[in-house]
Amino acid sequence: MITFDNVTKVYQKDWVALQDISFFIDKGEFVFVNGTTGAGKSTLLKLIYKDEEPTKGTIKVLDQNLRLLKKKNLPKLRRKIGVIFQDFKLLQDRTLEENIAFALDVTDTPARDMRKQMLEILTYLRLSHKKFSFPYQLSGGEQQKVAIARALVRDPYVLLADEPTGNLDEKSSQEIIDVLLDINYKGTTVLMATHNLKLIKKVKKRMLRIEDGKLASDQ
Amino acid sequence: MSLRIGIREGFRTITRNASLFLLSLLVTSIALFLLSLFAFVTVNLYHFLNILDEKIEIIAFLEENADYEALKSNILKINGVRDVIYVSSEQALKDLQAELQETEEVLSVFESNPLPASLRIKLLAKFRNARGLEEISGKVMLLRGIMETIYGGELVDQLKKITSVITGFDIGLLLIIIFSVVFVIFQTIKLTIFARATEIDIMKLVGASNSFIALPFTFEGIVQGILGGFIAFILTVVTKRVAVSFLSNIYFPQGYFFVGSLLCGLIFGIIGSSLALRKFLK
Ligand SMILES: Nc1ncnc2c1ncn2[C@@H]1O[C@H](COP(=O)(O)OP(=O)(O)OP(=O)(O)O)[C@@H](O)[C@H]1O
Ligand SMILES: [Mg+2]
Repeated sequence: MITFDNVTKVYQKDWVALQDISFFIDKGEFVFVNGTTGAGKSTLLKLIYKDEEPTKGTIKVLDQNLRLLKKKNLPKLRRKIGVIFQDFKLLQDRTLEENIAFALDVTDTPARDMRKQMLEILTYLRLSHKKFSFPYQLSGGEQQKVAIARALVRDPYVLLADEPTGNLDEKSSQEIIDVLLDINYKGTTVLMATHNLKLIKKVKKRMLRIEDGKLASDQ
Repeated sequence: MSLRIGIREGFRTITRNASLFLLSLLVTSIALFLLSLFAFVTVNLYHFLNILDEKIEIIAFLEENADYEALKSNILKINGVRDVIYVSSEQALKDLQAELQETEEVLSVFESNPLPASLRIKLLAKFRNARGLEEISGKVMLLRGIMETIYGGELVDQLKKITSVITGFDIGLLLIIIFSVVFVIFQTIKLTIFARATEIDIMKLVGASNSFIALPFTFEGIVQGILGGFIAFILTVVTKRVAVSFLSNIYFPQGYFFVGSLLCGLIFGIIGSSLALRKFLK
């Protein structure tokens, strides 16, 4: 499903963010990416949805070599990947509902299916009562949930979650983890980046640990 | 990507940046108005020149008792002649009287009609210049029964020269105006795109194709162009109304101007927004 083969990422000004990373994630796996602030977790996820290009090495996602992927086919690949961004990336001038619907518009979902999927996801995340609110009218945790809803509404093959519990208290964090586990149980491959070790320890799943841009452990 | 979503998003773009849109609509309208005004002046100029051009002719005076029917058919055979009209001496006198607005008595000092009959020779457009006139009049002179020919000559070439200078000037001005209209629309759409850069980034990240991102902006460009064209048309009609009050003989093909304004707006809108988008979407 996702293969990294000796991947190195150097940002401009010779800053090595990731160095010689290799791993393979199979279909249906649930994997944590752990590391301290600045270790390179977000960079690793960005490489998967091709927001960044690797300096060296090969990345394969959904059987496609990203380096060989044609520019016009990138949107198609991204529609199969759900991303929960660390900074949410919500559209400020759209309501919660519009923000989520937006991800469906992009894929040309018929209006009837769209309404059904929206209803499902809003109920599932218990956001229905806020659907006409704008992002600035929501709490950090609620915005986080909207970001999750937008990533999930399209039923992605792969879900990339970058610190999805970053703004939540322990109880809400557990709620989110349960949602992600549930999604994973239904067949979606999940990759979740977090620095929160306590959370990872509770859920016994595979963990890639990154230290200073190197893969320190994989268990 | 459905058109419905493109139009909906386009309206969103316009309403969210309403002041920017109105400002640039104003500029677009003014630029298109200049273009329309320019077309208006040019059309009238050419209309006028055409009338003058139509009047270029050779007048061949006939000897007394010449067989004008035979001469007419002979002249018609000359290359470059479009039409020949016979003017009898009586007709010539009547015309002169009409022109001088004199009574018959004044002219009746002459014992008999002093004016000769003539043939007015109309030429094909290609021959309406000094050389064509000279050439054809030379051939006419060779025919028996022709007393004399007269034509404009030098004056005609002067007219042609003025026409070509105006045409050159016209094309230059036209290019400048077209360039500025496209540039204004291009700049506006670019500003709108910049104002929504974050949004576009997010769209890309959730898998929006380039055409999905581009359609609303293209729509905005088209709306701006067509609305601008419409306003320009209205302003031109107003200008024409004003012009008519102190200039007679104004030529204004309203239908062509209406369609032309909207079409120019549409085309420039598409070109301007495509240029802006191409730069942004790479
Ligand atoms: N666009 C960029 N240009 C230059 N350097 C960058 C860029 N993005 C990230 N970096 C650097 O690369 C390193 C890894 O960044 P990254 O965002 O992947 O860390 P992270 O593990 O996600 O951290 P956090 O837990 O704070 O989110 C950091 O030192 C960061 O400063
Ligand atoms: Mg990060």
